[in-house]
Amino acid sequence: MKSIVTIGSKLALICAVAAIVLGLVNSVTEPAIEQNRKDELQRALNSVVSDGTVGEELTADDNPGIEGYYPVTGGDKKNTGYALKLIGIGYGGDMNILSYYGTDGEVKSVVLMENSETPGLGKMAEKNEYMAKFIGTGGSKPVPVRKDQLPQAEADAITGATITFMGIAKALDNGASFVKTLGEEK
Amino acid sequence: MIKEFTKGIFKENPIFIILLGLCPTLAVSNQVVNALGMGAGVIFVLLGSNIFVSLLKDFIPEKVRIPSYIVIIASFVTIVDLFMQAYLPSLSKSLGVFVKLIVVNCIILGRAEAFANKNTLANSILDALGMGIGFTLAIALIAVIREVLGAGTITIFPIGSFDGVITLPGLSAAPARVIGLSAGALFVMGYLKGLFNWMSMKKTGGDK
Repeated sequence: MKSIVTIGSKLALICAVAAIVLGLVNSVTEPAIEQNRKDELQRALNSVVSDGTVGEELTADDNPGIEGYYPVTGGDKKNTGYALKLIGIGYGGDMNILSYYGTDGEVKSVVLMENSETPGLGKMAEKNEYMAKFIGTGGSKPVPVRKDQLPQAEADAITGATITFMGIAKALDNGASFVKTLGEEK
Repeated sequence: MIKEFTKGIFKENPIFIILLGLCPTLAVSNQVVNALGMGAGVIFVLLGSNIFVSLLKDFIPEKVRIPSYIVIIASFVTIVDLFMQAYLPSLSKSLGVFVKLIVVNCIILGRAEAFANKNTLANSILDALGMGIGFTLAIALIAVIREVLGAGTITIFPIGSFDGVITLPGLSAAPARVIGLSAGALFVMGYLKGLFNWMSMKKTGGDK
């Protein structure tokens, strides 16, 4: 009995020391990691929004799939659209998606940000070509949310990573309907 | 004492001779920069875990030694992971989950269990450096072959205006892409292992 207590407390001591050290390291690196995330988001916003200036971040309270959104204004101070930070559910958990919609809900451009999809399959969605199938949808054309809504060649291309595709498509669809409600309020 | 250091580089090279840690070797040897980054991570974790396992070998109870080693190793891996995310974000991105997977890299647990818990601190440090450098050299060799044949480029660290990518004329126009894919990693690994076996057989007169 005594030996179990000794063994247990020694292991607990090792764990406690490890936890303290990691806490210290985390407090040093966290601001830098946070800054990297912000820089990356800014770079992504600039690459997604090609025709206007990005405004302050706003939050969509009653929509869990939208982490936040930015109104975009064009040169003549008119609202040209919205950039949305969307959360999609992929094969490896949440996927962060950044997309830019026209005021009518039409997808103008999309990038997949932080995600844990499978390299070689779901991760392919990080490429620009992958997102081409969503551009121009969401307004008058619906966002393709099922494989049979795609042309054969594109449907073949996502085989093996259907869950990633559905996750992105549903998030974009959700974003499109959200942008449409914004348009109506004005 | 010096042989504790050199054995990891040649005679007991973790990848080509004792065949440990093959999973990250095959996965991240697609670009030279990834291989070097992975190697640096492994050297740091191996050094840290060997030092602490050697220092604590009388403190850690025999019955819970494996959990204790794992806690020590996981702590060092987390430190590497956090620092990479903070100061080398692009490397952290391209290594992805394989940084975290250093925890289960058998070289590290293997050296803790087979060497550091029975040897002095100085020898454990030499062993860690030798094994770590041996691992780095081996993974870098595989990466150079794979990247040159598979993509026609050599990617190293960007310095100043140099973006870090050396493009080889001729090869980059028509590379053998299969070498860059996962299957190519196995081919290269297998041929290199064969080459090293042949070389060591020639040395010993073929009596093995």
